[in-house]
Amino acid sequence: MREPRNPFRLRASENIEVDTTFVRLFGPGVLDMLKGDERLATRIIRSAPGGGKTSLLRLFTPGPLLQLHAHRAQEEYVDLFDQMKALGVVTDQGVQLLGIMLSGDKNYAALADMDLDVNRQQRLLFGLLDARLILAMLREMLALRRLDIQGNLDRVTLRPTGNVVEFNGLSLPCSGSVLYDWARNRENEICEAIDSFDSEGFAAVGSDSITALAVLKPEALFIDGHQAAERILIMLDDVHKLTATQRGCVVKTLLNARSSTPIWIAERLEALSADELLASGTTEGRDYETVLLLEDYWRHHSRQFERVVLNIADRRVRAVSSVELSAFGSCLQDALDGAEWQPAFERALDTIPPRVREKAGRKALFAEWIGTREGLEGTPRERAISWRALEILIERELRKTQPTFDFSLDVDDLEHKDDSSLKAAAELFLSREYELPYYFGSATLSKLATSNIEQFLWLAGEEFEEVVSAAVISPTRVADLTPDRQEAIIKRAAKSLWDEIPRRAANGRSVRTFLEAIAVFSRWYTFQPNAPNDPGVNGIAILMSDREKLLNPSYLAKHPDHAVIAQVIASALAHNLIDADLDYKCKGERWMVLNLNRLLCASYHLPLNYGKFKEKTLPELVIWSTKGFVPPKNTSTFL
Amino acid sequence: MVNQGIRSAKEHFHVFMKEEPVASILRWQTYVLTRGEEFVAFWKSHLQSKERHVLFILARGFDPRMCFGLDHLLRAGGTGARDVLLVEFSEGASSPSRVYLPFVEENLKTMNALVKGRGKISSREVQTRSKEGHRITSRSAGNLFRRVDEFDGYTDVVLDVSAMPRAVYMPLIAKILHIFDHSPKDAPTQPPNFHVFVWEDPALDQDIRDEGVDDTAVYLHPYTGAMDREATAGQPKVWIPLLGEGQRAQLQRIHDLVVPDEICPVLPSPALNPRRGDNLVMEYHDLLFDRLRVEPRDFLFCSEQNPFEVYRQITRAIRGYRESLSPLGGSKFVLSALSSKLLSVGALLVAYDFKTEKIDIGIAHVECHGYHMDDATVKSLPKDHGEPVGLWLSGECDGR
Repeated sequence: MREPRNPFRLRASENIEVDTTFVRLFGPGVLDMLKGDERLATRIIRSAPGGGKTSLLRLFTPGPLLQLHAHRAQEEYVDLFDQMKALGVVTDQGVQLLGIMLSGDKNYAALADMDLDVNRQQRLLFGLLDARLILAMLREMLALRRLDIQGNLDRVTLRPTGNVVEFNGLSLPCSGSVLYDWARNRENEICEAIDSFDSEGFAAVGSDSITALAVLKPEALFIDGHQAAERILIMLDDVHKLTATQRGCVVKTLLNARSSTPIWIAERLEALSADELLASGTTEGRDYETVLLLEDYWRHHSRQFERVVLNIADRRVRAVSSVELSAFGSCLQDALDGAEWQPAFERALDTIPPRVREKAGRKALFAEWIGTREGLEGTPRERAISWRALEILIERELRKTQPTFDFSLDVDDLEHKDDSSLKAAAELFLSREYELPYYFGSATLSKLATSNIEQFLWLAGEEFEEVVSAAVISPTRVADLTPDRQEAIIKRAAKSLWDEIPRRAANGRSVRTFLEAIAVFSRWYTFQPNAPNDPGVNGIAILMSDREKLLNPSYLAKHPDHAVIAQVIASALAHNLIDADLDYKCKGERWMVLNLNRLLCASYHLPLNYGKFKEKTLPELVIWSTKGFVPPKNTSTFL
Repeated sequence: MVNQGIRSAKEHFHVFMKEEPVASILRWQTYVLTRGEEFVAFWKSHLQSKERHVLFILARGFDPRMCFGLDHLLRAGGTGARDVLLVEFSEGASSPSRVYLPFVEENLKTMNALVKGRGKISSREVQTRSKEGHRITSRSAGNLFRRVDEFDGYTDVVLDVSAMPRAVYMPLIAKILHIFDHSPKDAPTQPPNFHVFVWEDPALDQDIRDEGVDDTAVYLHPYTGAMDREATAGQPKVWIPLLGEGQRAQLQRIHDLVVPDEICPVLPSPALNPRRGDNLVMEYHDLLFDRLRVEPRDFLFCSEQNPFEVYRQITRAIRGYRESLSPLGGSKFVLSALSSKLLSVGALLVAYDFKTEKIDIGIAHVECHGYHMDDATVKSLPKDHGEPVGLWLSGECDGR
């Protein structure tokens, strides 16, 4: 197989066709979210597109597990093997788990469009799921023994367990061939009807429930007289592809079955959908462990995310023989300490202190603060940041409505106020004023990824493209990208993301207008001379009670403009253009915080931190989605 | 061995086929394709040769080409009914195409004026979404007609796809062909002739862009191509996308759906712009070679202007692959029509032909929320720019 020229372009799990490559490129840190879950309990896994759920599921299928076991002694695989060993999936002796993966992205939804009554549709849905679970089970069982399904089905036996002595009319025990024929015929019958020009006269019956769950147990599955695996894990991917009714019914049936075989249900996150999984009949904690929101997990474990994606990046660069790199971060300069940036900082030191003194006027109030800065030592960059931070603090003091007495403010007060958030705001303001790069370095790249692995790989791929191209010109020297070059690449990527919004998203133009309004508002607010909410805002929030309104069909019917907002927000969430934090407690209320995708922030010179936002009402958002945000007149802003 | 008779317009052939029932003679081995002046002359001759009752099916839309084909047909003269069936579909209240409603109204006025006194106008609606909100366009379009008696009284059915989205016209062409091909042999009258019209204007095609492309691709009904079968999940999948400009998001989404083992992109060559194929490769360079790992030798080249040539080339390619991959237990094929409407019809004919032999070929597609025309195009909408193209797919051309 041709070596990838730019390994970051191999993005989706499905595109990495060879299991060995897939396992080698899989970052073991991803499994931290399952730490301690040796039972691999039944759970629901949600993520935005590109969040990594399919990769996670694929790792537990026989192909990758066999490769992992085979290469367990090699350095690149050791960490992952140890993690999987801790979960009881593999041992030194072999693979212990039979992972059976089915995709919901098949023709299940088409059943709902056929001219059949609802009950018959449901029976056919269960019938199709039954058939496919059995087919997938047979294939993966044999794959675990490195056997092809052709010619080896008679080595498989399905035995009776407990009081299960028959399966869909087949007496147990029965051979794999008999089981395969039954499943294939059932699948063909239903699929041919779905794909027919005329489905009238279609006679297939289906099932009352997902009966395969009763037989998918380790003690029932044998190959050559030996139990096929110690454990089984059933994984349903892309469950959101079913219709809402089908999804509700399948998930409820799976969870109500309370099978001893754990089931993972993976689907796309949609924060504005009602949570059907808490419907009656299931009990959280008893039937499934938790809903695992991948991006949410990474947002709350941002350092871990950074380690994971940089590890994935390191693995990818090592896969390229034309560029000698062992760590991706080494091709990205991550500081402005170079000589080429010093003139800009010197200019800042020439202009900011006089500006500060002018602002302070003749007041004794700031004398000690200014004195401290004048005596400051450090690099030009450090001193420029300190002076700029001081300028912001003085602005804040001058804006106080309650005048302070004209005695010098304490230096301890300055040190207390001059915290990391303020320094970050000062750095942002400096970069804007003196055209210094802001978006560079591997840590920033991982923030720009917005907790989405695929977005990280895209951005890293764009940057690595320059490294690969430079290697063509100078093969003996590995290029490292300067901060300004990195920022140019990031801003180009950001622009392409903005430009694609109308094409990719439903209600694309409204989504773009709405997101631009958030960005313009955030920029206006962030660059106030007193830098409120330092280091700056990059999102908004609405009350959770307003969110409830946006979920209420009868409310939306009476307020069609709010219905549009609901659609716009849902579309933006579905495409990871914003992410949502629910139930955020602030000022005595509960909020849904909507954070802009961090890459979108780069086009507006916004900071990349989380946790800073401004509260908005639904009427304000209606105006924003149609007319955008216009900064109020007579307000000053540092822009 | 299976003995199967295949008819062409002029001769009768009997061919022996191998165990896998693939016809060695193509359904449209010989074909009737007219364009420009030839199109005009053909229709004058066809309609004036005897009394013909025509059902003209077209879509309600903003595309300026909506009524061009109807206009030409009516100008061709002849006697008999000239009925119109208007296919209506809604892209949703928030579709970006809604800004073009004035153009829709203008087109409807033109249509009404053209048909006045010549025939009846009726309409049928295609549902684009189910009550739960998922796409059902292709299934609904395929269900617009169910029986041959719905065409009683007509000698010719013309489907003008110029203003119709692919998700509507592809299943519609397939269904009408199916109905006519499976009409009772002992019926008192034969099914009508079936023609497809396209007003070819590549420049205008490029100025009308998809907007709000759906998150995911789907297979058009009834061409899932057995891609969904778990029983044959291990079979290699070959994806044959017909490339067109500005379809990057669609290509990526279809790829994510199909997850092919082999990709054979089709480039238009020969083409009016001889550099068009090169330009397409440049446009999708990183996607094709870096992400999708396409090999340069896997490109197919098909005439930009002849859908039957596309039909032949792709059919040949599929047969070649089937033979090569049969030791692996079989193979699956998916087509994607991301190019012009004309070539899309060619792709459909491939799928239709193989399906009659019970070989499933999938057609993967991404729908969109609406369309956007460049402002310059909106202001200076071309009049009669481009040319009419007609395909005669079934009927007297088959020797009936």
